[in-house]
Amino acid sequence: MYALFPIIVLLGSGLSIPLISMIFRKLGKEKIRDIWAVLAFALSTAYFAYIILYEKLPISYKIELEPSWASIGIKIDAFSAYMSLIFSFLGLVVSIYSIGYMESETGLDEYYTLLLTLVAGMIGVTIVNDLFTLYVLWELMCVSSYTLVSFRKHRWEAVEAGFKYLVMSTIGSLIALYSISLLYGIAGTLEFSKLGEIILSNTNSIPKDTIYFIIAMVIAGFGVTAAIVPFHTWLPDAHPAAPSSISAMLSGVVIKTGAFAIFKILFTVFYPTHFGYGGILILFGLLTMTVANVMVIPQRDIKRFLAYSSIANMGYIMLGLGVATYIAYNYSARLDIVSLALLGSLFHILNHAIGKGLLFLGAGCFIHEAKTRDLAKLEGIGVKMPFSALSFSIGLLNLAGIPPLSGFWSKFFIIMAMLAFLEDPFLYVSTIIFVLNIFVAAGYYIWLLQRISLKKPSEILSKVTETKLSMLIPILVLASLCILITIFLDPVLKVIAEPVNVLVGTTISNIKTNLILGGGV
Amino acid sequence: MFLQIFYANIALILILIGLYCIASKRNLLKIIIGIEIITVSVNLNILAMGLREAEYVDPLAQEMTIISIAIGAAVAAIALCILLNVFRHYKTLDTRKLKRLRW
Repeated sequence: MYALFPIIVLLGSGLSIPLISMIFRKLGKEKIRDIWAVLAFALSTAYFAYIILYEKLPISYKIELEPSWASIGIKIDAFSAYMSLIFSFLGLVVSIYSIGYMESETGLDEYYTLLLTLVAGMIGVTIVNDLFTLYVLWELMCVSSYTLVSFRKHRWEAVEAGFKYLVMSTIGSLIALYSISLLYGIAGTLEFSKLGEIILSNTNSIPKDTIYFIIAMVIAGFGVTAAIVPFHTWLPDAHPAAPSSISAMLSGVVIKTGAFAIFKILFTVFYPTHFGYGGILILFGLLTMTVANVMVIPQRDIKRFLAYSSIANMGYIMLGLGVATYIAYNYSARLDIVSLALLGSLFHILNHAIGKGLLFLGAGCFIHEAKTRDLAKLEGIGVKMPFSALSFSIGLLNLAGIPPLSGFWSKFFIIMAMLAFLEDPFLYVSTIIFVLNIFVAAGYYIWLLQRISLKKPSEILSKVTETKLSMLIPILVLASLCILITIFLDPVLKVIAEPVNVLVGTTISNIKTNLILGGGV
Repeated sequence: MFLQIFYANIALILILIGLYCIASKRNLLKIIIGIEIITVSVNLNILAMGLREAEYVDPLAQEMTIISIAIGAAVAAIALCILLNVFRHYKTLDTRKLKRLRW
């Protein structure tokens, strides 16, 4: 039961919340329910932090059933522990924030239950050991998030955005399931540990087109949740319609789960050294970031603004993956550069989860106090709410990639990996487009910072005061984390090097972080 | 082998029909029916892939199909709930009226 602990805690506390709430409502202490959810997240965060620091990974566990084909395997390797730590930590922060933020809403029993099942589904996706169980837990996550997006069902916006999200995401999941079924037909099993070998040994008997068809299906199916550009249109509608705490979850971690699924399937099933899909992933990444960065500029709704910049950041992550797979296929001797690109990509997942979580929670504070999402009306709110605005600005600077902050280093690693092969014209052009995109992004983040924090507040904001403490604490924690990661860059990168090694599958622990950083920090 | 290819092709055709249904119909209920068609055809595809030889079916495929049907039912339930709320707000199920969210 050891490896199943986090899922059991999250699902069990989620399903027991209606009961807890019923009991304590009679005693007049409704807040116990919120504390219950916070405790569950804290337990799961502590579990993953503990196993990353002290336990020998991977931890495997098998639920043995009578016919052996029905057994379910669980395997927590360094990659899944790393992702699960991010997921449950953001869940912890969001649940603390929700105590203050969701106070005036009704239906909070359902809210906390769904929040817990959402995170349980995401952690489940990361720790399972076969593709079909991955799909089942994926749907647990998806169903929870459809319901959470349309949580404020008395507003037309939430209902419409929820329906749009449901239709697009369901089609994506079904396409992914279709690709899983084709893989099952080819290999006869769906276990991660066996699939890669089977596909590799049968490359002569299986036509290569079939494999590429399946790869395309996987990228398209999970890419809907990962918000890759042709499939991104649900995201800018779903984020503003959901409550701010849920936007932070969606943008911080749910779309990362899509990225996780693509990373995991591509690296464990279709070895990037044997199948050349890197170029198309680079194209997808560049398209995603370019379209999103252009689309951010006309937005005048603060949450829509942040939603589009999330899409751009997913583009960076996809580009890192694309560069890694491209180099692995074309220059398979340079696995150190592959690791460098993956390191940047995984580090950016962490940076973006923390930074964008912070931005959405901060925006939630502004919206909660000023009762508007219009950027023109929110101008200068930082004067009235100094602590929120300070944290918000740190998040903006982090994502803009202002050099000492950690958001700079993750993009820097990806650029360094691309610059290692300057003689390749494709990578050369991609680097130029990527750098241009980073500058555009930094421009609009600074523009937003100036609008929020430095302008004079207008008449509408005359009654706004600093938000309450229970909403302020999560934001301050996230903002200080942004700075702490920057200060302790080296130990953090050592932690991230483990999942990179798991993915690359070789024991190159000598990703010389000190050498790359050149003692700059 | 013939049966496997036959059913797999039928599943592919059904998926395309479902996608066409979602793309072309203007009624939200019909869009949900389109999703259901895709669900059913993917289940059919799993079953077809479970056919190994004549008269032998991999039990794993049937297990997966049953679980997949249950998941499809859950998604359909959520979809119908949201559909009810859409009708409450708009008094219609016509997608052309649901165009307030743009970009």
